[in-house]
Amino acid sequence: GKNEYDLLIIGGGSGGLACAKEAAKFGRKVAVLDYVEPSPQGTKWGLGGTCVNVGCIPKKLMHQAALLGSAIKDAQHYGWNIAQPVHHTWSVMAQAVQNYVKSLNWGHRVQLQDKKVKYFNMKGSFSDPHTIRGLTKAGKETIVTAENIVIATGGRPKYPVHIAGALEYGITSDDLFWLKESPGKTPLVYYPFILHLCEIIVYISLTGSSPDVSLECAGFLTGIGLETTVMMRSIPLRGFDQQMASLVTEHMESYGTKFLKRCFPTKVEKSESNRLQVTWKNTDLRTEVTDSFDTVMWAVGRAPDTETLNLETVGVKTNSETGKIIVDASEATSVPNIYAVGDITEGRPELTPTAIAAGKLLAQRLFGQSSELMDYDNVPTTVFTPLEYGCVGLSEEAAVQCYGSDNIEVYHAYYKPLEFTVAERDAAQCYMKMVCLRERDQRILGLHFIGPNAGEVIQGFALGIKCGATYPQLMKTIGIHPTCAEEITKLHITKGSGLDATVTGC
Amino acid sequence: MGWEEKQVCGYSEFVETAQRYHGRPIFALFCGDKDAEGRSWCPDCVTAEPVVRRELHNMPDESVFIYCLVGDRAYWKDPNNEFRKNLKLTGVPTLLKYGTPQKLVEEECFKAELVRMLFTED
Repeated sequence: GKNEYDLLIIGGGSGGLACAKEAAKFGRKVAVLDYVEPSPQGTKWGLGGTCVNVGCIPKKLMHQAALLGSAIKDAQHYGWNIAQPVHHTWSVMAQAVQNYVKSLNWGHRVQLQDKKVKYFNMKGSFSDPHTIRGLTKAGKETIVTAENIVIATGGRPKYPVHIAGALEYGITSDDLFWLKESPGKTPLVYYPFILHLCEIIVYISLTGSSPDVSLECAGFLTGIGLETTVMMRSIPLRGFDQQMASLVTEHMESYGTKFLKRCFPTKVEKSESNRLQVTWKNTDLRTEVTDSFDTVMWAVGRAPDTETLNLETVGVKTNSETGKIIVDASEATSVPNIYAVGDITEGRPELTPTAIAAGKLLAQRLFGQSSELMDYDNVPTTVFTPLEYGCVGLSEEAAVQCYGSDNIEVYHAYYKPLEFTVAERDAAQCYMKMVCLRERDQRILGLHFIGPNAGEVIQGFALGIKCGATYPQLMKTIGIHPTCAEEITKLHITKGSGLDATVTGC
Repeated sequence: MGWEEKQVCGYSEFVETAQRYHGRPIFALFCGDKDAEGRSWCPDCVTAEPVVRRELHNMPDESVFIYCLVGDRAYWKDPNNEFRKNLKLTGVPTLLKYGTPQKLVEEECFKAELVRMLFTED
């Protein structure tokens, strides 16, 4: 018989919802299946996917909470009379953030309903290439058929299951944002010695393409006053420009986050005082240490959510190493009418804007006679650590690998945001660099910026890079004064020259 | 037990009633005051009310439906009125599930499917 729907999307996150809403614009019969399997700790959430519920949105809001704490400290220098130290109440922040997220869940429900997209709160799996079996929480089954199917189920945080106690006692970002009570007890600052009164340890190991959430979480946890330790086996922010990654973590260290480098945990146990005892090994010193914490958070990468989809039945091919779905430039899988977008797809950035754009373009190609493919080049991004890092284009390493170090020029500068001066803030890690081709028009290959509001700074330059901006064009661009962004337009010291790259006053 | 309706006028009566039924699902429809002929100064409220009433049977058992007249047009237009300030209402009619971010505002209240979704959604 005829298929019930023109388009069925499994997964109501950034990619899935964007695709659904776009397809509905063409008057197509569209349905979305969304289901949140509770985390091992029992956390669950509503419609909207990772970004809305356990990613970008709550992360950025909590990052803002931490920044406000720093601003309050700075405020004294600017004349504000605020009794220090100022304390933070987790539950107030959490409730406000969670309420906002819930309003977004509702907003998506209303939008889908309004655009006549059918919504099923069910876990979907393939019966055949045009048939999905949906299962409700209560176990009720519904069969749905569709001409085209898009898989947009995203990913979930991994657990280091080989570490004893990891699953039982640890949390992930899925849980952190939904905690009603603080992950660490508030320090009693009027006592001279506070040891281990509020501690969270975040273990990050660097597989997967989004290792920044862990540092971002550690960053805001430190910022709101919790004793936070980051343990890592190897390098932070793998996949990002490594010079910039070091500056980011250096800043976090000076900001108060403790780092246990070249260490990995071996077990997590519960102590009599109901705290968590973590044992770890230091690979360099070959020592083994045990210490107590209130909360252990794992940030060891994200796994694609494909296990229960039954992909083998329909023959959708996945990457044997990552488990992600293999797609071509049109987001098509190995099966003709089945597509995939977002974090679930192999080789794509794990970012909301790319999932949304890919989802929209897919709908336009399927139903709108468009042939435009998604352009994954020069996608700008920002890591929202206490000192933010924004970038667009190639890292220095990638540019060297692509073109050879003789063919690129790197311009760089250490600068000091004006706002830091009066506040007596250290700007040692406020740095920017631009990687350009040496020859002909000196096209800009990559731009990297560490500083306040890095995302806002880089966004506009992403347009320039998209248009093939060159170094001479940038030099002709007048800066806005006084800003941090203007320093980009003034970059002129090259790494190769060996000259001091510190910006002097205006 | 089914559901019951409470009709209130003004902010304090609303808050008092909502507090009295704390623990039960509470839905509230906020409309502009009605004149002697029973006509509201708010034309959208006139449109929305019958739509909402037709869907009331979808509310879960034990629900309380509070029908609240907010005041006259002048009171409503005041940007500092208590409904705007404390309940963060931005327009009338507003249909909301008390204590949650779930609400429908103005033309959204004309749509039976949206009203039904508000009453039945978790």
